[in-house]
Amino acid sequence: MSEQPYKRPPITEAVIDIRFSEDLPAAELEKVSRDFASVYANRETVKNVVAQIGVPPNLEAAPTTQFNQHIGYRLASTDVTELLVLWPATLIVSQLAPYPGWGAFFSRFERDWTRWKKAVGYRKIVRVGVRYINRIDVPVPPEGYIEESEYLNIYAKYPDIIGNVAGYFVQFRAPLNDIECDLVVNSGGVPSPLLNHMSIMFDQDIIMERICPQNDDDIYTLLKKIHEKKNGVFEASVTDRARELFQQ
Amino acid sequence: MTSILFDRQRQGSTSPPLQMLKDALSKETMNLAEAIRTFLHSDPSPGSLLQEQPIAGLMQTSTTRTARVSVEPSLHERLFDALAEVKIMTSKVAMHLDKQWRQKLFAQLDSLHDPDEWEEGEEPLQQESFATFLKAMLAINPERRPGLGLSSLGHLIAAWTTGSDRLTIEFLPGDRTRWVLARAVSGETDRFAGDTPVSRLVEGLAPYRPDYWLRYAEQQDHQPA
Repeated sequence: MSEQPYKRPPITEAVIDIRFSEDLPAAELEKVSRDFASVYANRETVKNVVAQIGVPPNLEAAPTTQFNQHIGYRLASTDVTELLVLWPATLIVSQLAPYPGWGAFFSRFERDWTRWKKAVGYRKIVRVGVRYINRIDVPVPPEGYIEESEYLNIYAKYPDIIGNVAGYFVQFRAPLNDIECDLVVNSGGVPSPLLNHMSIMFDQDIIMERICPQNDDDIYTLLKKIHEKKNGVFEASVTDRARELFQQ
Repeated sequence: MTSILFDRQRQGSTSPPLQMLKDALSKETMNLAEAIRTFLHSDPSPGSLLQEQPIAGLMQTSTTRTARVSVEPSLHERLFDALAEVKIMTSKVAMHLDKQWRQKLFAQLDSLHDPDEWEEGEEPLQQESFATFLKAMLAINPERRPGLGLSSLGHLIAAWTTGSDRLTIEFLPGDRTRWVLARAVSGETDRFAGDTPVSRLVEGLAPYRPDYWLRYAEQQDHQPA
């Protein structure tokens, strides 16, 4: 398959996500984020807050609340399509549309990963994820509805008594034993940003948590295997009618 | 075969929160519902930091929120945020846009938000106005790219000029547009104006032969009606 088979790839976001067993100290993370200033024009500090509320059985005691927060850094290219997000235990390289192809995306990951490793050294990896979010924009025909099965081979099926639906959402998780990963797929109707269109989201997340690679060569080999698998799952999941839309 | 309906007016209602049904459901059912809720949890993607993912309404079970850290944003930060938001909005339809036009659009937007040229009291570009602009541009697909300006309320204004004739469209929040055509006829200027939803912009302009402004070939061949 060529590097970029479609004239209008439906990818809205591509993500490579590496998670580590331990947090990087805040001062070190801040310093590392500054090391990327030469390759990302914009840098901002972000905060992730997790709120947990504990409610005792039968309200025998007062509810408790606990807040955990992490400071991270979000770096972006001038056009905000190339993103790098650094959290204490996570490195995320993300590409928004237009998708430049795997070669360019992977090269950027290699560049950022090399810079990260040079700055912080080896840290134990506990998860590697590759996620591709696609949106298929379908022109609305005169009859005012579309058959999702004409565009995707993954969809919700309903008995006739329900008739047409205004929205649906499907999620499943499947082991990919040949590459020792897991696949999570989210799909459903989403609001279209285009006039007179309906859109279907197809979100693939392929995750390695079983035996995570720990050196660069093994990480790159795994990412390439995941990418090939991702392409295989995508092509098997879309129909020729959807492919026509990506070429128009 | 069941299909998805196209209905832009439809506002979907959702089921009540699980906890509200606690006393009406058995413990086993609550456990099952909780297991499904946990299964359906999905982390937002990095690009969603400034904008909610469209599927968020279906999965608002997380108690995690991410936000930019800034107590009181400076002018530079406000302008950067406004630009970043509209650039991310553009990325969502970038596969339908010409690459050169996208680059030119960003250069125009950067210029409109130059901190050195910014005047006190001006509003940066509103996301809702920009959403209307994107829908309009993708619908009318103009060959000739417009000059852009900002109203004092942060609404984007696009203008096409052919000789002394001019088509100006203001993109309003809520998918509305306001437009004015001005053309010289026998030494006088005729003006026509309209206020239409973006979904009817093409129809609204059609009687005035907008290709005179929007297409290259039409400029020499046709005068507007």
